[in-house]
Amino acid sequence: MAPPEREKPEDRARCVTGIDGLDSILSGGIPRGNTVLVTGSVGTGKTSLCLEFLVHGALAGENSLFISATEASDKLLQNIIPYDFFDRKLIKDGRLVFLDFRVIYDRLGLEKTEFDFEEINILIRALGNLVDELKVKRLVIDSITSVCYRLKTQENIRDFILKLGSMLSSRGCTSLLVSEISPAEERYSLHGVEEAIADGVLVTGNLERRGDLLRTIQVVKMRGTAHSRAKYVLDLTTVGVLLVPLLKGGSVPTGGA
Amino acid sequence: MTVAASIGRKLLGLPEAAAIALRMKADHYFDVIRALLDTFATKKSLDAIYVTSTIPSASIINALEVLEVPLDHIYFVDSISQIMMSSGQKHPHAIFVESPTMLENLMLKVEFLIRKTQDRHNVVILDSINSLAIHNNTKILSEFLHILVNNLRSKEAYTVIFSMEEYETEEIRNMLNLVSDETLQVEE
Repeated sequence: MAPPEREKPEDRARCVTGIDGLDSILSGGIPRGNTVLVTGSVGTGKTSLCLEFLVHGALAGENSLFISATEASDKLLQNIIPYDFFDRKLIKDGRLVFLDFRVIYDRLGLEKTEFDFEEINILIRALGNLVDELKVKRLVIDSITSVCYRLKTQENIRDFILKLGSMLSSRGCTSLLVSEISPAEERYSLHGVEEAIADGVLVTGNLERRGDLLRTIQVVKMRGTAHSRAKYVLDLTTVGVLLVPLLKGGSVPTGGA
Repeated sequence: MTVAASIGRKLLGLPEAAAIALRMKADHYFDVIRALLDTFATKKSLDAIYVTSTIPSASIINALEVLEVPLDHIYFVDSISQIMMSSGQKHPHAIFVESPTMLENLMLKVEFLIRKTQDRHNVVILDSINSLAIHNNTKILSEFLHILVNNLRSKEAYTVIFSMEEYETEEIRNMLNLVSDETLQVEE
């Protein structure tokens, strides 16, 4: 019997991020329904990237949800108002929704600092209900690291990410899970589990070159699409995130100035 | 014919979205800037993006104001002011890059200004290859020019690269030949 044909990357429907450079790297966007880990140390542009992803989605008519575990919604809003393309009407119309994890925990009565298997299921069900109720097509959780702190064991984290990814994918919801790592970290998440389960891994970083600090981004993994694995330099601007290739000549210690 | 008139005539005859190496003596520097901005920003109705790594944008702006060149369609990417620790009033048409070694950031700021000024086509003026060569090695500078020029060409923008004859090296000439469609020599 002939082996089953592998799904051609171009066959998957795309969730166009609206960030031109990133869509180009991903050959048209994130395959719809993928759960992508956005990982990097502080100040590398993870939250800005995720916010822009949601705003573009909302502008394109896709309901978008930001669940924050780190910053209050009004503070986050201040970060997106400078965008030239942001329209407050998106929030008023319910296309772009901000929620705090703290509120979700309170409503579910999850007050413990450590979740067991049953509480993970309660949380997944609650997130599923939210996605259904709000008809969410784009979701950002910032950060998944803070949720994982409550899961303690690698088994629980694996179970949570697997169930979350599967729940979101079955609803056609494309999600970005923000993961915080320290600059010295050699893996992509605090527990080393998330990156193995996620469909994609997008790494942001700070690259020091001869005393200059450049913000970089690299798509390390993305199921369902051909993509560049090169490193790009990014800039956070009022027209959105801009990308250019990292110049490689800089890493060659040849003569000249 | 004056230097400005002579260079202006040559620039008007250039094909669309050309990449031009402009070789000049340091003495002709301000005549060339005036002719260039008059040709592209006024006669050709383009938005000019002036990338300076030679002298601070504030000095160029002051000179343009003295020469009565309107600044409405001229924007600056300044990579030299911050490295010189120069303070003072920031012009609303000037944005800053920390150092001329941050070549990727120069490209990003050019891209930003192109997106901000979408009504008109652009000319990007690189002032100059010689000052960039002081801060960067030839390999990274060639790579930068190659990516920048091709990117601008795809956006139907002109690229003009200044080169001061007094500071030209063999390597700089080769680099310019590689990326430019034409080399214009500024003569009296």
